[in-house]
Amino acid sequence: MNREFQEQVASKGDNSFASCFHCLSCGAGCPAVELMDWRPNQVIRMIQRGMKKEVLESRTIWICIGCFNCLDQCPNRVDIPSLMDTLRHMAIEEGVRVPEPGILAFHKEFLRQVSNRGRVFEVGLMMRYKLATRSFSQDMGTGVRMMLKGRFQLTPSRVENPREFKEKLGGSS
Amino acid sequence: MKAQTLRAVDGERVISFYPGCSLTSSGREMMESYLEVASFFGLRVQTLEDWSCCGSTPAHSIRGWWGLVLPARNLLLAESRGIEELMTLCPSCFVRLWDSREKLLADEQKNKRIQDLWGAAVRGHTRPVFFLESLLAVALEKVETLAPGSFRGLRIAPYYGCLLSRQRWVTGLDGHSPRTALGDLLKRLEAQDLKWGLEEQCCGAGLAVTKPELSQRLVARIHQYARRAGANCLVVFCPLCHMNLELRAPSQEALPVLYFTELLAIAAGLPHTQHWLGRHLVDPKPLLSQLRIA
Repeated sequence: MNREFQEQVASKGDNSFASCFHCLSCGAGCPAVELMDWRPNQVIRMIQRGMKKEVLESRTIWICIGCFNCLDQCPNRVDIPSLMDTLRHMAIEEGVRVPEPGILAFHKEFLRQVSNRGRVFEVGLMMRYKLATRSFSQDMGTGVRMMLKGRFQLTPSRVENPREFKEKLGGSS
Repeated sequence: MKAQTLRAVDGERVISFYPGCSLTSSGREMMESYLEVASFFGLRVQTLEDWSCCGSTPAHSIRGWWGLVLPARNLLLAESRGIEELMTLCPSCFVRLWDSREKLLADEQKNKRIQDLWGAAVRGHTRPVFFLESLLAVALEKVETLAPGSFRGLRIAPYYGCLLSRQRWVTGLDGHSPRTALGDLLKRLEAQDLKWGLEEQCCGAGLAVTKPELSQRLVARIHQYARRAGANCLVVFCPLCHMNLELRAPSQEALPVLYFTELLAIAAGLPHTQHWLGRHLVDPKPLLSQLRIA
């Protein structure tokens, strides 16, 4: 069996996934499992079998919502949310095809907001996300309702020195 | 709650506060109602100056290092001001601050890189704390200021959501122990506190924008279960849950969703209550006026 991928993953984060005995608790309680192509324990098995391409190109690693239900339920305390983080980072580094481009676009826009102002401007985030994914029709009605109800801050809030913040943060990766 | 959560300054209790981005925008009702309720119960809340975003889900998801760097900046601001406990209203902000602190304290090399970037390493002098315990404690201490029985007829499905429901070692957040105090408070107000089955289920807020059909299904089920158990409202403790439970609510038979802090504001008869309630997407006013609560 090809152990290279397994070792690569373990070296980037923790290797708690080695103790998975496939009890299926993780997928059983996962609120987003229906959108995953592989259940969380299957991803672990695929890592162990060296199926790098299939793992890094899977939907599962992008769909994981980070609610910690799996970790809370796992009899072996396998830190699946953090494993999913590691796999996403690897997928980005390797430049593989991302099957959930909308989710990646959302994360990127969010971090662009943070890097520009030190804080997130929700209205700006939504507009830029809609532009990036060309999905203007979706949720327009709810967006307008929120706006009319005064649920959004209409002018962005910033840290005291956004330029310095951006320079420091941008230079650190 | 532990008494040391609060510092006493000239007889007044002061608590340092990290707002976070949602609380200043879509979760404004939670922040505004918290601030008024806290001041009503004699807590002085000081906002952490120059706070920045904790990075939320996106940072640790796609730029692992920023997932540590962004919360660390806030921990360092607090440490430099001698703040021992930094309170958050948002469970997600809490977990990010806690996680970054744990990881940096355990990894000297990474902490050194933090020092190179922000000018100081995290020393662990500031501990993140969640708002619920300290607020419940002052509310129970001054429970005589709240009219007994004022919530008669209110049948509450408390919704804790994901982060408040985990074991403490998972998220650093103890969402279980405040529940007894919450029960005591609701008993005094004679609200019914229901067990309904989905109080600890994730609402899908993290994918509410990118996978709306998923959160719609999860949220519909939450409203449905609560209604089936006889609830006439949901009560939440998280700005992201609130937004999602209202925004993705089924078009028919949606229950009003109240922040716990709004509930306290109503109980205390605070003046801006109607203003916050007016910003809700599922109007809670018909229910509250029908029960002569607000």
